[in-house]
Amino acid sequence: MARRSQGTKLHLAVLCLVVSCHAIGLSDLMERASQRSDQLPHSLVHADSHFPPMGRVMMPRPSMCHTSSLQTPKDKEQALRVSENELISLARSLLLAWNDPLLLLSSEAPTLPHPSNGDISSKIRELQDYSKSLGDGLDILVNKMGPSSQYISSIPFKGGDLGNDKTSRLINFHFLMSCFRRDSHKIDSFLKVLRCRATKMRPETC
Amino acid sequence: MMWRDVGVTLILSLILPVVAQGARHTPPGKPKLTSCRSPDKETFTCWWEAGSDGGRPTTYSLFYHKENSETVYECPDYHTAGANSCFFNKNETSIWVNYNITVVATNALGNNFSDPVDVDVVYIVQPHTPENVTVGVLEDEDGPFLRVSWEPPRKADTRSGWITLIYELRVKLEEAEEWEEHRAGQQKMFNNFSLHSGGVYMVQVRCKPDHGFWSEWSTASYVKVPDYIPRERSMWILIAVFSAFIFLILTWIITLNRSSVKHCLLPPVPGPKIKGFDQQLLKKGKPEEVFNSLVVQSFPPRSTDYEDLLVEYLEVYVNEKQELMPEGKDLRDVGCLESKSQSDNDSGRGSCDSHTLLMEKCGGVESKDESSYEEPELLQGQAGSWERLERGDSQVVDTPDSSDARVKTWPLVFSPSIHGSSDNHHYGTLEMPKQHSTSEITYSVPDHLFPTSTSFPHHHHPEYRDSLGEYSEYRHSRSPSTGVLYHWEAQHHPQAHSNFNIRNLERQKEATGFGLPPSRSMEYVEVQKVNQNQLVLKPLSSHGRGPSQVQFGRAVVDYSKVNGVNNDNVLLLQRQREMAEAGQYCDYREKEGAEAERYPTQQQGKTTKDGPVATQLQESTCLTTSGYVDTVPTMPTF
Repeated sequence: MARRSQGTKLHLAVLCLVVSCHAIGLSDLMERASQRSDQLPHSLVHADSHFPPMGRVMMPRPSMCHTSSLQTPKDKEQALRVSENELISLARSLLLAWNDPLLLLSSEAPTLPHPSNGDISSKIRELQDYSKSLGDGLDILVNKMGPSSQYISSIPFKGGDLGNDKTSRLINFHFLMSCFRRDSHKIDSFLKVLRCRATKMRPETC
Repeated sequence: MMWRDVGVTLILSLILPVVAQGARHTPPGKPKLTSCRSPDKETFTCWWEAGSDGGRPTTYSLFYHKENSETVYECPDYHTAGANSCFFNKNETSIWVNYNITVVATNALGNNFSDPVDVDVVYIVQPHTPENVTVGVLEDEDGPFLRVSWEPPRKADTRSGWITLIYELRVKLEEAEEWEEHRAGQQKMFNNFSLHSGGVYMVQVRCKPDHGFWSEWSTASYVKVPDYIPRERSMWILIAVFSAFIFLILTWIITLNRSSVKHCLLPPVPGPKIKGFDQQLLKKGKPEEVFNSLVVQSFPPRSTDYEDLLVEYLEVYVNEKQELMPEGKDLRDVGCLESKSQSDNDSGRGSCDSHTLLMEKCGGVESKDESSYEEPELLQGQAGSWERLERGDSQVVDTPDSSDARVKTWPLVFSPSIHGSSDNHHYGTLEMPKQHSTSEITYSVPDHLFPTSTSFPHHHHPEYRDSLGEYSEYRHSRSPSTGVLYHWEAQHHPQAHSNFNIRNLERQKEATGFGLPPSRSMEYVEVQKVNQNQLVLKPLSSHGRGPSQVQFGRAVVDYSKVNGVNNDNVLLLQRQREMAEAGQYCDYREKEGAEAERYPTQQQGKTTKDGPVATQLQESTCLTTSGYVDTVPTMPTF
């Protein structure tokens, strides 16, 4: 229930903002956002472990992730050069880009021809919750940060379904999961960089 | 044959290696990428292991291409990371990009490709061990503790937030086997408490990025914890507190049992117990009254054994018409059916004296002849005697109604309570007057009935037997303050005719052995005196028992001196033990005449009353040591 409590914390932060209460500072919000984003990849790793190693022959290439069109920093220097507004924008865009695919995944998971599709579908639901709470928190954050940070790139998801036959369904499912795992890592890294930088926190804690 | 095989084998073994010389050279075996690691998420290194080299010098090369390009690059640095490794520096490292890496082993005969591996640097981060691990023993009020501090590995850039590390440390005593692990989160310092003083501790730290692998444990740091006295001091403090606690509990227990402890240690000195001695009265400062109360007590007691068993009985003659249902009283210990003089050989006839007396004293009031006198006879072991007693007597004691003319009507109040009795005879059967559905016979007892001339039986019966529960008797019981409670019990025979005979047994002079005639038509009534001058006789309920017998130890007729009324309905009669001591008579008789006339009028109203009946008592200043029934000055009126 930690994620829910964090979500509620973020909602409380919203309330505080409404009443002009600055009790929850940006740093706290960032801290919580980063904590929330930290949970995404972990869940994905667990979900990914259910899948047996696929033959790479049929595996789509990661560059075929639908979010690959979004330009993100590729290394540390680039990432550190990105502005805070852009960082938050990137994070939010990525997060938003995965709402629809997660819906697809959650709908496909129960019928997945996999022995542990029950676990997988519960994991997918968990991921959805994480994403939702993180997205809400980031919305609050951008309200605090200013209007220039509220730009979001829209990344459409065109994948209709996972395929017709069993194998392609499994493969496509796995592929989507791996794409999401990477993107959750990105979100997490961006937010953590943002946290240390934007709030001018004590360096020893970063 | 065997020799031939050996020879062939030898030849073959010699030839084959030569032949195989040329066959050993093969293309290299397949290399294998073992791992790729990035210590800082900026660079990474990949290691492989070589397959068989095929007998020739084999070179290994690593090729990779990134996910979204087909350009194949070769490893830029084979040496930095050691043998069979490839180091990718910052410029060549991209994050969130899949590297497809392949190692190729090449020798003169050919090459061999390893299986490609997809690597994303983000997933392979394993930092170096934390650095500058320092361990120290500090002390605060709770005792010594270990403080461990460290720094992140140099290469990991945690300051910019690019890498977020969490730490973990483990501690153990040097000689211990199990490590004690602690998560330290993102902090770089840790306090470990609960140390063993005098021990040497080992500490190690490691770290992990938020998504990655744990680093190796740092080299162990040793620290010695000095011996600390406060540790022992605390033990003494604990002991002291515990002892104080126990002491408090003991004190509390002793305080609770204060009296018993005092009793045990300082046994109380027994004080004198004088019956009838009213300390309160003495405190009030009226010695006369105190002594009066002392005097009126029957002292010295005739019989020390049965001091409390003062039973007197009167023969009560009751009208047959009177529906008397005596309450079922067990006969008290008779103690003292003293009786009668020898003229009392018959049960009821001895009452003639009283009868006569009544008539004499009351100035002509005739005792009813038809009153049947019954002696409260105590027969010895004669079961059927009761019946005879009953039947024998045809006289019926006058009911109050009918005995108007009699002077000798006693409003008797039965007292349910017996005071001063040390026995536990069936007092329970004594019922409150109000409990009786039967009528009581109330007789007003003129004082003169208990006069000096009359002798009331004072009974001392040391040989009272417990089996005499069925006797109706009246008994003395002492009330310490007011004297004697006079109880007259009349036993009602099952035949339900109650003939009561109140007899004044006044044979005190002739104290002889009281031998009751075997058959007496007597019944016993319960006599309760309300006040000095009034006695309430209540018939006893039928027990259905045969008469028990009481052996009278002495045939002494005692007077009963009425001391007063105790409570509501208790006639307190004093029992005079020593008839010899009967001395002065007070001016009793003189009053009686005046009182006698009162009674008839009063008795009417009292006959059917269940409750106590009382009349005003006249004060009498007479104090005697005799067994006379005296009026007691302090008589409550009802």
